Amino acid sequence: MNATDLRPWRDPSQKPLLQIKSVTKKFSDFVAVDDVSLDIYAGELFCLLGGSGCGKSTLLRMLAGFEEATEGQILLDGEDLSGVAPHERPTNMMFQSYALFPHMSVLKNVMYGLVHGGMTKAEAETTAMEMLKLVKLEKFIKRKPHQLSGGQRQRVALARALVKKPRLLLLDEPLGALDKKLREETQFELIRIQETLGVTFVVVTHDQEEAMTLASRIGVMNDGYIEQIGEPREIYEFPKSKFVANFIGDVNLFEGEMIVDEPDRAAVLNDSVGEIAITHGVSGTLGQELTIAVRPEKLEISKKKSAKMLNSAKGVVEDIAYLGSQSVYHVRLDSGKLVKAFRANRVREAEDDLTWEDRVVVGWDGSSGVVLSQ
Amino acid sequence: MINRIASFVGVRGVIALPMIWLLVFFLLPFIFVFVLSFSTIRNGMPPYEPVVNFKDSFLQLNIHLSSWERFFENPIYIGTFLSSAKTAFIATFLTLLIGFPMAYVIARAPEARRHLLLMLVILPFWTSFLLRVYAIKTILYNQGPVNQFLMKIGILEVNSPIQFLNTDFAVYLGIVYTYLPFMILPLYANLVKLEESVLEASSDLGAKPFWTFWQVVIPLSYPGIIAGCMLVFIPAVGEFVIPDLLGATDTKMIGKTIYVEYFNNRDYPMASVLSVVVLIVFVAPFLMMRKWQDKLAEVNDA
Repeated sequence: MNATDLRPWRDPSQKPLLQIKSVTKKFSDFVAVDDVSLDIYAGELFCLLGGSGCGKSTLLRMLAGFEEATEGQILLDGEDLSGVAPHERPTNMMFQSYALFPHMSVLKNVMYGLVHGGMTKAEAETTAMEMLKLVKLEKFIKRKPHQLSGGQRQRVALARALVKKPRLLLLDEPLGALDKKLREETQFELIRIQETLGVTFVVVTHDQEEAMTLASRIGVMNDGYIEQIGEPREIYEFPKSKFVANFIGDVNLFEGEMIVDEPDRAAVLNDSVGEIAITHGVSGTLGQELTIAVRPEKLEISKKKSAKMLNSAKGVVEDIAYLGSQSVYHVRLDSGKLVKAFRANRVREAEDDLTWEDRVVVGWDGSSGVVLSQ
Repeated sequence: MINRIASFVGVRGVIALPMIWLLVFFLLPFIFVFVLSFSTIRNGMPPYEPVVNFKDSFLQLNIHLSSWERFFENPIYIGTFLSSAKTAFIATFLTLLIGFPMAYVIARAPEARRHLLLMLVILPFWTSFLLRVYAIKTILYNQGPVNQFLMKIGILEVNSPIQFLNTDFAVYLGIVYTYLPFMILPLYANLVKLEESVLEASSDLGAKPFWTFWQVVIPLSYPGIIAGCMLVFIPAVGEFVIPDLLGATDTKMIGKTIYVEYFNNRDYPMASVLSVVVLIVFVAPFLMMRKWQDKLAEVNDA
């Protein structure tokens, strides 16, 4: 571990900025957040990722102070936040609906938090102007929110939440209301601003691509639980559960019983592929039901079985989606199972072009599959 | 093409209907009243001289300024105006003070309960206005339940009731009670649109609850406040039943004065002068506020 490493979560001597300790939130009978524990470090851009109703927004609202945890503790810089009202917390939030004050100009919106933080009007104006320059809105300071485009409103909301330099900035679907093109541009803009100011971000999103682009680490939530916490690459390449493998990106799942269990290799018996060889050790017992998850871009597809394919199955090309940079092949295996394979379109005029109804072989090597026990 | 003509006629028709309504039931009567204010009393039927006379191909305009002169010369009339304005202003302010928290609570209540609470606000309308004013009279009576209760629990000595009836207090109570729904309903319609997240944002940015209320809730409810105050102030200025039944005999309200001039003194021209002045002094400024309100609404809706 050296000084330039920007991954404090890998260093056990680092103290987290935010500690969420076994937090549970119940709304009468409904458990929205179920025993979540999570550490977030200073300077991180942490994404809480999950589908709607998974509890990610409730967790964020507990950090802001709009909801009180039913059980557990939230510590910021070691201080317990329970019972601290939202207006007394050193956190700020950017709302999904932006929640701009419709009766105030852009400048007044951004100044609002500063004035209530004890600044004089003149100081607040100078500070707010600096922030508005950072988000490139200095020409629009006199406008009211309804006179701005969606993207501009989004930046006002960001400026307003950031201007107090909060210990923790909470962002609820910050890019959710923007169209695709603008969203992609804004993602990098958001990272630039986060790096410039060094504020710790906690972002809630349902968009896995957004989470992958933005996050230093991702917490995948499902049904109130945290399924897995990790760096984007870790989450994608080493998912710990079927839910995570399915939620992040596409995946082909092959289920079966473990038939070989040795320190450096294992095998699983599957209906479609037969014996699936794994070229590393697996923690499990003989006879246990396991799932092998293979990403579509790691599946090789060709007319003849190649040497690299340690595991393979025959099938028919049922559907092809040409996406420009890559093509998606839907292959119906002889067992009836449908698998997805990606092929990058590297050559403009591909020779061995696969087409509909072609008999093909799909396969992968012994280390491309992820072994999942749950 | 036919469709287009039909829709053109349709749109015009939709606009024309309320226009015709206003013309027939507001503008024409107002013109009659205005003309009548330049007449003078006489014995007979009708009890005033015609302003416009057409006899033997001879058109004669008889403009009498005597009623207008009397209005400006007799301080009683101006005094009545001021006292009506004061009463209506205080009553409107009290109604706002009581109505705002009620509207706020209803707007923030769970949706299922809101309708019930709104029903309760509107419920008194099922009883005739006059009956309700008489009910207040019965309640405030010297031997009425309020005084009896106060005497029973010992706040008041036996046989020394507070004189509620025929006081300004009773008039304010009557106006506030009667017009409260007119304040609550527009405020509610406004406050219910107020997004919870905007209030949360204010709190999140460090504003204490009072400042959130003062700098966010109040400015965003201006349209509702203005509409509610208009709906209370305008009828309260012209109110004559409540001061007549609950107020002291010397309570000066313009509505009561118009009533007296019209029905007791049969002085139609003077009653007309007063009516015209009411319209100009009290309604015109509100119509101007209405424009301002539209502007505000535009900002809030976007």
